[in-house]
Amino acid sequence: MSDGLKNKVAIVGVGRCKFGENWDRSEEDMIVDATYLAYQDAGIEDPRKQIDAIYCGSLYSKNGPVEVSEALKLYKPLTMVLNYCATGTEAFRAACMSVAAGVYETVLVVGYDKPKDRGVSGPSVNIRDVRDLPATPAGWFAVCAQPYFEKYGATREHLAKIAVKNHHNGTLAPESFLKKEITVEEALNGRMISWPFGLFDCAAQSDGCAVTVITRADKAKNFRKDPVYVKAVASGSGPNPNTDPDFDFCRWKPTENAAAEAYKMAGITNPGKEIHVAQVHDCFTLTELLTYEDLGFIPKGSAKEYIDSGYFQLTGELPVNTDGGLKTFGHPTGATGVRMIVENVLQLRGQAGPRSLKKQPTVALSHNIGGFPTGCAVAILGIEK
Amino acid sequence: MSQAGIETYGAYIPVTRLPLSVISGRTAKEGDAEKAVAWSDEDAITMAVAAGLNCLQGVDRSRVDAVILATTTLAFSEKQGASIVAKALDLTGDIKTIDISGSLRAGTLAIQQAIDMVKAGSVRKVLVIASDCRMGAPRSGIESSLGDAAAAVLVGNEAVIAELTASASHANEMMDVWRRQGDAFVHSWEDRFINDHGLIENSAAVIKTLYAKTGKTGKDFSKACLYATDARNLGSIMKAAGIKPDQLQDAMFGKVGCTGASFAPLLLVSALEKAKAGDALLVTSYGDGADALVFTVKGEAKDKNNRRAVSFYLHRRRTVDNYNKYLSARDLNVTEYPSPDDQGISATVQFRNRDENLSLQGQVCGSCGTHQFPKGRVCVRCGSKDNWKTMTYSACRGKVLTYTLDAFYPSPEPPTVATIIEVVLPDGKPGPRIHMQFADASAKEIKTSLPVEFAFRRIHRAGRRPNYFWKCTPIQQTAGGAV
Repeated sequence: MSDGLKNKVAIVGVGRCKFGENWDRSEEDMIVDATYLAYQDAGIEDPRKQIDAIYCGSLYSKNGPVEVSEALKLYKPLTMVLNYCATGTEAFRAACMSVAAGVYETVLVVGYDKPKDRGVSGPSVNIRDVRDLPATPAGWFAVCAQPYFEKYGATREHLAKIAVKNHHNGTLAPESFLKKEITVEEALNGRMISWPFGLFDCAAQSDGCAVTVITRADKAKNFRKDPVYVKAVASGSGPNPNTDPDFDFCRWKPTENAAAEAYKMAGITNPGKEIHVAQVHDCFTLTELLTYEDLGFIPKGSAKEYIDSGYFQLTGELPVNTDGGLKTFGHPTGATGVRMIVENVLQLRGQAGPRSLKKQPTVALSHNIGGFPTGCAVAILGIEK
Repeated sequence: MSQAGIETYGAYIPVTRLPLSVISGRTAKEGDAEKAVAWSDEDAITMAVAAGLNCLQGVDRSRVDAVILATTTLAFSEKQGASIVAKALDLTGDIKTIDISGSLRAGTLAIQQAIDMVKAGSVRKVLVIASDCRMGAPRSGIESSLGDAAAAVLVGNEAVIAELTASASHANEMMDVWRRQGDAFVHSWEDRFINDHGLIENSAAVIKTLYAKTGKTGKDFSKACLYATDARNLGSIMKAAGIKPDQLQDAMFGKVGCTGASFAPLLLVSALEKAKAGDALLVTSYGDGADALVFTVKGEAKDKNNRRAVSFYLHRRRTVDNYNKYLSARDLNVTEYPSPDDQGISATVQFRNRDENLSLQGQVCGSCGTHQFPKGRVCVRCGSKDNWKTMTYSACRGKVLTYTLDAFYPSPEPPTVATIIEVVLPDGKPGPRIHMQFADASAKEIKTSLPVEFAFRRIHRAGRRPNYFWKCTPIQQTAGGAV
């Protein structure tokens, strides 16, 4: 029986660059900006001596991991991790395991992506096989909407309320891409992308980079007095749910499985109470809705009541996507999971400024899911050891 | 052993109709003259597959030894069409596949060829499919007269319902209608010249030869299926053949249009739907010469009431309300940049996936009975490995589990409906789940649990090659409404 990652690794530095359509910024610019913020945050003055290894994640990388070693001019062991939209959290997970195993002491985790260099607006439509089309990410996720709506009575209006909440939170985050309050009516009237997803139900495509510095928990206070401890990082994957004869289109097994593993590792038995703040994958508003339930924050089918009551708002019982999420940061895929971990670290340290919560959180969760969806990763952090 | 002839038949006419009034920018009224048009996901190959499926209904496919595709609208100059059609029909590998192309007379030439093959004893049954999808230049007179359709007959010598009892052919060389290599549209010389010295003169000549050979005259025929390009020419040919209006098989001008190589076979199939034992059918066709065929009807198709042929599809229609949608569907709208001629789908990947993509073939687990599409190695339910039996699902029906309306997918009439369907097996049990587009119907018609059937379609043109896969359509009754 493994004893997991709990309290073996700590985060001592975080940084994220400005996310957005960074036409005048390269991968190198974003990687350098975010990494040097994290160095500064960790008090690292000589990375060539203080960093032992790098784990990076990028889905749209043009040249692979060399983009990171080239940008940072570091001669270090370097590993690139890939798992669709969970790429960022997966890079973090691999890095944590290397530290917990005692292979490295202090490791840099770099999540980044630069999709806006491709010359296309909106999602990429890849043609790998005849059967692949139409295959936009919106289309993959949207197929769960109608069965969920029919079974549990939620509507597009509940999705719209998630978009309104995240747009509001995004106005309070300096590094977010979209800083615009919207109304439920505006969200409902957005241009249709893939029914029931209108424009405001979809995360934007943006460029961005987020970085963490992790180290052995017992060495963390050498870097700063308020390290954030890794309580769990877990991963769940599966085959295409749409060809699973038992799939009910109302839940995603990768999230349920990753959450179960993460809660066990962290010793959490009542996630709805023990998790104080969460950043969950909101590539589409429905993804956030299903994730409330798949993570066990609330019972399956009950999301509409919780959404209506404001439960997940910044002022609610369990604030979700306090920085505006993918909705307002956009989704530079490799960066997203690391960006969420950065936000949770800021929340746990009480450094979230106008996004601060009415009650100071001590346990925070972040979550990614991607593919059809086929891959998920969950990270739980805590300020107390 | 009985004489070689037609054992059964099928047809396909695209659901979409373009009213001629819409071409000239007016609002269509019910009853306006119209033409059948292949939509953006259809071509001569997909129409041929649909007609072939209908023709093979209830037939033991292992007895089909050859497929002949007759068309002037093949997508490839070098690469066969019949091989794609045979694969989509899941016919066994040890068959002959033959294209007969280049001439508008290809349909009747193919039927005669098939009958000769069966008579020679080299094959048991031949599936002959004539399918054409020609275009006239936008807003030209030729455009108005053309239509798209496919007709199929199974030729054999066992359960023959119509025996070929006489035939005559004339060869003729003239430049009347043509498409050069690379031409998208049909070109023609002056109307009266090509009609008088081409279509009418040659049709009259071949009919005269046939009558001289057989001693028959016009009054000996129960029905006459006469190739013509419009009603006026048809009148001239009727006169030459001595055919009275009540003997004439409706040429469907103003409903379908002249469908090129498939036109005479389509009229023949239409006549067979109503024919009775003892009837004599005259069939003529034209193109670089002319053919005249006499079929003697021996009996009726056993399942004629459930057989999808011309009468079924004539009633199944939806009209285009805007000419731009038609132009877009046929890729005739002007754009600044042509679509990139990229490599498209890897031919290697396409080769490995041909059973799934072309035949809609999946597999059933030998351990737990779970059906799976696409094929894989390990069962998603019980986890057993490499214990599979192949299954072909194209003739099954399905039901819609869920759907989305994708506004991004390029389409003449967005949004594109993408569904996940569950195949319903013949015994009512669930088959595999497949991610598929919904075709021949608008987004308004989609709902969960909707029963569907499968149609072979051109799903996209990556690499500027036609790429084929199956879509689902509502169970084809008589759909209606505007596009």
